[in-house]
Amino acid sequence: MNAFAASARHEALNIRRSRTAHILLWVFVGMVLVSSLIGWITNRTVTGVFDRIRAEGLTSQPNPFTGVSPLTYERNTVIYVLLIGALMAVVLGAQASLRDRKSGTSALVLSRPVGTASRLLGQLAGIGAVLGVVLGGSVGASWVVLGIIDAAPLGPEHTLRLLAFAALSWVLLMAFAVLGMLTGLVSRSETTALLVSFVLWSAIAFVVPQLGTAARPVTLLGPVPHPAATGGWFDAVAAVTGPLAVTEQYKRAAGVLLQDRNAQAGDWTGALVVAAALLILVLVLAVTPRRRLRRPLDE
Amino acid sequence: MTAAIATERLTRVFGPVTAVDGLDLEVAEGEIFGLLGHNGAGKTTTVNMLTTLLPPTGGGASICGRSITADAAGVRRSIGYLPENVRFYDNLTLGENLRFFAELSGIRRPEGRIREVLRLLDFEGPYGQRVGTFSKGMRQRVGIAQAILHEPKVLFLDEPTSGLDPEGVRTLRETIVRLNREFGITVFMNTHLLTEVTKTCTSIGILRAGRLIHSSSLAETLAAFPDEESLEAVYFRLESQPVP
Repeated sequence: MNAFAASARHEALNIRRSRTAHILLWVFVGMVLVSSLIGWITNRTVTGVFDRIRAEGLTSQPNPFTGVSPLTYERNTVIYVLLIGALMAVVLGAQASLRDRKSGTSALVLSRPVGTASRLLGQLAGIGAVLGVVLGGSVGASWVVLGIIDAAPLGPEHTLRLLAFAALSWVLLMAFAVLGMLTGLVSRSETTALLVSFVLWSAIAFVVPQLGTAARPVTLLGPVPHPAATGGWFDAVAAVTGPLAVTEQYKRAAGVLLQDRNAQAGDWTGALVVAAALLILVLVLAVTPRRRLRRPLDE
Repeated sequence: MTAAIATERLTRVFGPVTAVDGLDLEVAEGEIFGLLGHNGAGKTTTVNMLTTLLPPTGGGASICGRSITADAAGVRRSIGYLPENVRFYDNLTLGENLRFFAELSGIRRPEGRIREVLRLLDFEGPYGQRVGTFSKGMRQRVGIAQAILHEPKVLFLDEPTSGLDPEGVRTLRETIVRLNREFGITVFMNTHLLTEVTKTCTSIGILRAGRLIHSSSLAETLAAFPDEESLEAVYFRLESQPVP
């Protein structure tokens, strides 16, 4: 087994044994299931009320859920990926690069015929495998619940869209994991590394999008970004910060995949920005100097 | 006898401090070499350079004929290393920890080799136990096990007896001597414990302020000072002499 594969396997094993990671993973899966449950309850409640008022002859309008893509019930999952998922990924990333520095095993690892890039990218692959399993499990659960809501299994197109959404979420979470790894490598202490990770996460998830959508800050918590005010200062700021607001771009791409009514079908700019962010971060990680892995923590 | 370790004007400077200053040293194959010196003498920096963890700022060195700078990967394949106070991965079992290091070293069938090494060290019992529950002595045995998994020609040990109880010290000493005699592994160790050096090492070097002030076989060193009753007395006498 080469260093890349050994590091990937080892990282996945360490995450499996880490209590913090377990808590975050279960919270995430739980929230995704809750998201589907909320969708199911909403559908049942609205349809129940609609059926009653139609039976009483109070409306002749069609059921508001008629013609709505079953995937729209997944909208809340977009928010959970951004909030809990991204936080989980950042913590997993920081823990990965802090582990060797904390336990003194970095000297053992680096005294073996192991390339820096192989080691770091292997660790990232291990995190990626865990995130893949978590997202796969979440998508599987969503597929079942959405089938229950619609009283029929999802068709091939919707299933593919759901899988594409999971893939998009995986790319975003991997970018956050790399960010966590990088902060873990450059920080002098474990506390600083986790603190910096949280600050970066909140800046990317909240501050940068705030600059781009400042006219309607509440939209930050909406699954699909509301367009910034047109014209004037806000528009100018949004034009500059928009592409940098990776989380907003993720919401935009997720909206397209989940067939949100507000999203522009065929607009893949968001997905490209998210993929580009991951690519750039992976390149930065791959060229990390060897001495960074070795530096012991101050505490 | 060919040199397992050879350094030539090996130097490492940290800002205004010269930690290792033009070190010229040769350790022959099959030796157990003890590098002695006070705290801050440059022992760990020397080991870090020889294990390719730290690049030298001047001079060079070779391990089994491979340059530590030009062929660092080759050097890493030839050496085993146990740093001071390493803790390993507490959440993983002994077997899982060793499997990781075996895989990193490119061992094809790690399980068989791990069992073999643990048998050799008489340490098979705790295979499935988490390393986080191990005593300091047990951790040092994990350290020795990971260091010899890939059958290195040279073993570097940095303060291997640090923090061990007398029983742990004796077990470790016996292991080092056995690895040297039965498998021909050259051992390079940094240590403060002069009694252990007397019982274990075949040759010694003394570093002071980054400079090698003495290097010879243990027998020759002791013979050169017939009026001194122990290595400790010889050490302090050599230490007090002016740097050449």
